[in-house]
Amino acid sequence: MLDAFAARLRQGFRTGAFPPAPPNLPPDFRGRPKLDAGMTRTDVESAAKECPSLGSLGFDEKGAFLDMGRCIFCGRCAKACPKISFTREYRLGVFRREDLVVRAGEGEYAPPEQSDPEALALRHSFLLREVSAGGCGACELDANVLGTLAWDFGRFGIRFAASPRHADAIYLTGPVSKNMQLALDKTYAAAPYPKFLIAAGACAISGGLYAQGKLPAVPSLFIPGCPPHPATTLDALLRFTGRRA
Amino acid sequence: MTKIEYFPDEAASAAFMDSLGGYRNPSAVSPLKGAAAHEVAVGPVHAGVIEPGHFRFQCMGEDVYNLQIFLGYQHRGVESEIVEADGFTARQVALAETCAGDTSIAAATCFAEIMESVFPDRFAAPDAKAMSVRSCLLELERIANHVGDLGALAGDVAFLPTSSFCGRIRGDYLNMTALVCGNRFGRNAVVPGGTRVTIDSEKAAKLKSLVAAAKKDLDNALGLMFNEPTVVDRFSGTGTVTKETAAQIGLVGVARRASDEFGGDVLARAKVRRVEIDEAHEKISAILDALEAGRTPECLEAAKAPTMKPEGRFAVCVSTVQAWRGPLVHAALFGEGGKLLRYKIVDPSAFNWHGLAWALRGEQISNFPICNKSFNLSYCGTDR
Repeated sequence: MLDAFAARLRQGFRTGAFPPAPPNLPPDFRGRPKLDAGMTRTDVESAAKECPSLGSLGFDEKGAFLDMGRCIFCGRCAKACPKISFTREYRLGVFRREDLVVRAGEGEYAPPEQSDPEALALRHSFLLREVSAGGCGACELDANVLGTLAWDFGRFGIRFAASPRHADAIYLTGPVSKNMQLALDKTYAAAPYPKFLIAAGACAISGGLYAQGKLPAVPSLFIPGCPPHPATTLDALLRFTGRRA
Repeated sequence: MTKIEYFPDEAASAAFMDSLGGYRNPSAVSPLKGAAAHEVAVGPVHAGVIEPGHFRFQCMGEDVYNLQIFLGYQHRGVESEIVEADGFTARQVALAETCAGDTSIAAATCFAEIMESVFPDRFAAPDAKAMSVRSCLLELERIANHVGDLGALAGDVAFLPTSSFCGRIRGDYLNMTALVCGNRFGRNAVVPGGTRVTIDSEKAAKLKSLVAAAKKDLDNALGLMFNEPTVVDRFSGTGTVTKETAAQIGLVGVARRASDEFGGDVLARAKVRRVEIDEAHEKISAILDALEAGRTPECLEAAKAPTMKPEGRFAVCVSTVQAWRGPLVHAALFGEGGKLLRYKIVDPSAFNWHGLAWALRGEQISNFPICNKSFNLSYCGTDR
């Protein structure tokens, strides 16, 4: 008993200062990509040859683009093409799928602000039911980590619920494998209205490296990454309920 | 363990599930008979933030007579995707890394070793520097996972100090991995021919101080748990798999070592993790000391020149890495011109699920969480 107190004193208070302080990101952190204005179709093609996630890079009538919903943030394209770089911008969560597409020569990035009253109502209590559907487990692990005292998302009234009946949102990870389709549909159906679907990680957003199953609804929050850094996830969750702007 | 995968059409899959009394068939009857016989079904969606699997506790009264494990929910075709991506090494290695996210580094190393052995002309054998980075990352992966599991074990028996400390300390080790390569799971670091990152002497010094600080906190946190009589009592004699049984059912890795050396209960599996944490630290220290001084670590040499040269029509290459759960095995079958025909990944979990089922025999359902956590097997690694 006394040992436990001594250990508690020794280990000290270790919950990170983020937020509001900036997160402690590794020096080689790869965040939101940036594409130079002058990117040509040839540039895109040469970079795309290196990209493990098929279809992340493309060129259409509006020019070159990089789809963060497919990107695994490996940085291979940036090495192949100097017109692509990865910034340290970790605030990657967005509310619309199209906002994940980074365009060549884009101006300053501003993360989205929530205006949906049903989402804003969750700012003091936000319960998530996680469904892991065919992924590799990394997204689950780095979602779980938010509950540890290093991140402690309980400070903001966010936590994982044991049952979908208690959930405000279904937090989906994985590309939705065939064998998880039924379980995912049932779990989503079991959550009470109003409910949101959160797609966390490249797999849940687009299938990532794999073929994607059917999502039970259009997600209201997209958190890109492979897996998303916990700071990205926490920022996205807080932004979703309007606790962070 | 029953697999629910490998059915090309849905009707066959459903029929198979029904024949087993799977979750699609609520009227399935337990094989046990009598007034005390009952069956508890859980999953595939579990109460925590974990991967999907379906468990059937077949009980007589309070005791679990048998645990039937249904897996296959995570099957997404990693192996066939790797074959499909033949010739596109960057995609193949990324696919291998996502077979089991917590074993990314071991998987990438396994894949890289196959490619280096079969295509020495395309991929040079990794030099000592690259081998050091691979080893360092592999040991960090091992420590992070073991720390997480020990913390989770503490949490499952409501010993909150160690649970809280380890949850944070695991993150410290993941952040060290991120310091090396930018990703907390070591993604995109290991590639055929070497690594995409290096550890220079400055980085080695930084890592060394981080490892030392984390190890001190860790020893404190683990010492607390292993000296706590209520915890030790709860772990002792729970979920025992004897040495003989472990050999008969072919357990590997942590679970096998626990049965061979420490008695095979939950406490044994916890002890193995603690021992392996210490062993990994010794290895990391040796590597980092050498890298800091600009030497080649004594425990490592550059990879041996590949001895394999594909001749004739087929070549089979098998590689194995001692991943944190146990031996991870990758095997590839190449055809003419080095065309990849089949790729096979065998996660150590594939052998150990049966051990979990065995550990639960005669236990109560309430002992499932700590038994499960003490094995902590990979669903996605098994399902691929």
